[in-house]
Amino acid sequence: MAFQILLNFFIALVWMFLSSSMTVTTFVIGYLIGFILLLMMRRFFHERLYIERLWAAIKLTFLFIRELIMSNISVLRLVLRPKLDIQPRIFALPTDLEQDWEITLLSSLITLTPGTIVVHVSDDQNILYVHAIDADDVDDAIDSIKNTFEKAIKEVSRP
Amino acid sequence: MKTNDVILQTGTKVVFFIIFLFSIHIFFAGHFAPGGGFVGGLLTTAAIVLLLLAFDLKTVQKALPFNFMIVVAVGLLLALGTAAGSILFDVPFFTHAYDDFNLPLFGVSSLHTAMIFDAGVYLVVVGSTITMIQTIGGDS
Repeated sequence: MAFQILLNFFIALVWMFLSSSMTVTTFVIGYLIGFILLLMMRRFFHERLYIERLWAAIKLTFLFIRELIMSNISVLRLVLRPKLDIQPRIFALPTDLEQDWEITLLSSLITLTPGTIVVHVSDDQNILYVHAIDADDVDDAIDSIKNTFEKAIKEVSRP
Repeated sequence: MKTNDVILQTGTKVVFFIIFLFSIHIFFAGHFAPGGGFVGGLLTTAAIVLLLLAFDLKTVQKALPFNFMIVVAVGLLLALGTAAGSILFDVPFFTHAYDDFNLPLFGVSSLHTAMIFDAGVYLVVVGSTITMIQTIGGDS
């Protein structure tokens, strides 16, 4: 991914030197031409085209915003309820993510959505301990996190 | 009992650069906007202290192998040299000089000897605060 972006920048720079005008406009035109060239040559790369990973990252951002709004509303409903019948739990969330930044990103996303907080990461980084404010069904909570955030992060980090 | 600090360390690796960049910005903004050598030095120290909190003393000392007492000495020399340089031109002590230069990359920019004095202040602040923290934190 980094190599492809560098290549794209390099093509844009070469385009600037060829047209001998050092303006932003020329750079943008060169960048677009470089992107079309990368699109043509995508069979020769070992990894996916970087635009796909960028798109996955944008999708993850929008997914996070959606989850943030939804879970805020649900916590608000819990707070405003006259009777407090919540079921707080700490459960272990097994994760398949390996890189440090993936674990950090997943933990931050879980913590930033209200109602769930990551309290600890196990030493071998395979288990996150999550505190949920209202988890009637633990398997359900694990499934929901796995199917939203973890899947989206894997989509971003897949080479 | 060793805990897993993966979130703190990964966050630090990103945030450190932002704090350091901001400290450099504050240092250069000192003439016309709030900022200057003292605040810039303290912010740089804050970035290094964040590293010290996330990692341990030995790792940071390996990453930044400076003797910070010498950094203090260099800063004091810079400040004193800027002040004493005015004697050579037969003007009172601490008189600053400035002029507009046409630099190749920045265009016309006014260079001021107060900047060198500020760099001295910056180095003294960074050196002394890091020396204090390392002396208190280290057990040797």
